[in-house]
Amino acid sequence: MSAQPLLATDRAALILQLVPYLIGKGEVSVTEAADEFDVTPDQLRSMVEKLTVIGLPGDGGFWQMANDLFDIDWDLLDEQDLISITNTVGLERTPRLTAREAAALLAGLQLAASLPGVGDSGVVQGLLAKLARGASSAPADVIVAPDAVDDVRVAVNDALRAGVAVSFRYKAPDRPATTRTVDPVKVHIADGQWYLQGWCHLREAMRTFHLERVSDMQLTEIAIAHSGDAVPALFAVTDADAVAEIRFAADLAPLLTAYLDPASVAGAGARRTGRVRIADERSLKRLAARHGGELEVLSPDSARSAVASWAAAGLAQYH
Amino acid sequence: MAIDANTPSSTRTAPEERLVNLVVALMATEPGLTKETILTSVSGYREQSAAGASKDALEKMFERDKENLRAMGVPIETIGDYADPDDLREARYRVPTSEYELPADIEFTPAELAVLNLAGGVWSESSMSAQARSGLRKIRALGLEVDAPIIGYSPRINLREPAFAPLQRGIEQARVVTFDYLKGGDEDAHRRRVRPLALVEFEARWHVFGFDIDQDAERTFLLSRIVSPVQVTRTGFDAALREGAGDKALAGLQELAARQHALLEVDPGTEAALRLSRRATPAPQGIHVSYVDAHIFADELASYGPEVRVVEPADLRAKVIARLERTLELHGGAR
Repeated sequence: MSAQPLLATDRAALILQLVPYLIGKGEVSVTEAADEFDVTPDQLRSMVEKLTVIGLPGDGGFWQMANDLFDIDWDLLDEQDLISITNTVGLERTPRLTAREAAALLAGLQLAASLPGVGDSGVVQGLLAKLARGASSAPADVIVAPDAVDDVRVAVNDALRAGVAVSFRYKAPDRPATTRTVDPVKVHIADGQWYLQGWCHLREAMRTFHLERVSDMQLTEIAIAHSGDAVPALFAVTDADAVAEIRFAADLAPLLTAYLDPASVAGAGARRTGRVRIADERSLKRLAARHGGELEVLSPDSARSAVASWAAAGLAQYH
Repeated sequence: MAIDANTPSSTRTAPEERLVNLVVALMATEPGLTKETILTSVSGYREQSAAGASKDALEKMFERDKENLRAMGVPIETIGDYADPDDLREARYRVPTSEYELPADIEFTPAELAVLNLAGGVWSESSMSAQARSGLRKIRALGLEVDAPIIGYSPRINLREPAFAPLQRGIEQARVVTFDYLKGGDEDAHRRRVRPLALVEFEARWHVFGFDIDQDAERTFLLSRIVSPVQVTRTGFDAALREGAGDKALAGLQELAARQHALLEVDPGTEAALRLSRRATPAPQGIHVSYVDAHIFADELASYGPEVRVVEPADLRAKVIARLERTLELHGGAR
């Protein structure tokens, strides 16, 4: 009773979805269908082949007649890798969403509603009702708290739609404020924080900006010129970054994934050591103070003493 | 899989074939099929019956298949003996088409589908991501027109807490869950018995709202403070308790945030000023910022070091000082 029966139910669930999909498509290539179903072309081909031995029960214990089974155009599959269903014996309509599928989509919709122009369009409200009605049983309430849209987010959205650059004041921690002109490419929302990725005219490269550190945003009349450039992953580290050794409580590890080099993690039990890469060494003092006592900067010495001074200066306010 | 091992390989059918054959058979019947008919006529069982598999083994297989299909959302109806509903010997089984199929009157506009495509992509690597994709696939199979994708956004919900999946199962099945919970500031974790009612992401943290049986009151727990695996027990509760629970939980958290606020002095132009002022209301001396969890807010305030000073409440102030003291202690001397 290992994972075997589970996998079979996954495959069965896919076959139930495959029939209405194939009917809707009429004719579809193996690769396109495999892509839609998140499986390899070989796995999809095998599912389609399985389908042709599935059908209505045999009458009085006899084997089924050919027209009691699903069938496909075999020549088309063998010669052109195209799937076309030629006989169906049921399952023609799309199954209802399971409670969990509905819950996953409903929660996603609540986050999507925080996007400028999406939440206030009425589309989300209609969808919430339709998804709840389309589920086979009541989904668990999975709520994503609404987030207020502010001027900066609206301006970024307007610039993305209009295809123009934005200019704004940016104040990174421990650095002087700068004025940036940026071709907006992508807005990331992660852990409730909003980040703008785009081509920075000042640095002449793709950069990521935390929207809470942005102010005075204006739309420019400069058309976006770099929207096609490759966008690095959010929090991607570059060679210019600082490297530090830290010791940390083991249960902090999931919170450090953005910086921690997994290959460098050593030690067992409650305390681990590892190497982090960060954009600016000065941000380590904030990280260490946030996890007061649970995260120690071991090296470089400059960062370690910066943490001590930071904490001491914080404490001095209370004496 | 003892059943398969006892039957000759030529009669063995892949389990997914048997499952789908069963669905086709149960949907094709209006009055329902008896277990006897199913085991001797539906492909997957029929071959094993013919090969002499024991009736007991086949019935067990049928029971497991039914359970698996129901877990997949296939509504298998049992029509029992009306004179004696507990007697299932003559029971008939069917899948009512209307409950299996996505209702025909649910239609999605092109604009709705574009939003739904975006919503389906928010889950970072987790089982919820697979569920969302599967749900989307079903809706896409309706073959409807879709608006141009909403470009330029990559919204993500992170799910790092292993407690989420069992809690969700507890809610779906309306069953009591138990777990060890480390209350903020406590040294030791305590066992909780909870009727879970809703999961809520609030300020980027997952909470479970439910009824704590030992405390005899509604409680909201942070998933990150659950320190043991979550057990879904066999004890059920009235599923009607779930109604409106999500809204109630959210309202409770918002009310808490409205009630608790700190008076802070911030150094203008710093990171602390930038980040806190967005959530702040001006006060005669400094700013007021509301918070839900004093421990989590103290973590954030400590990270700002000398950029912020907590005036009140005293409890929050003490927590920030303690964090800074521990940080200084750890970094003050040699390694």
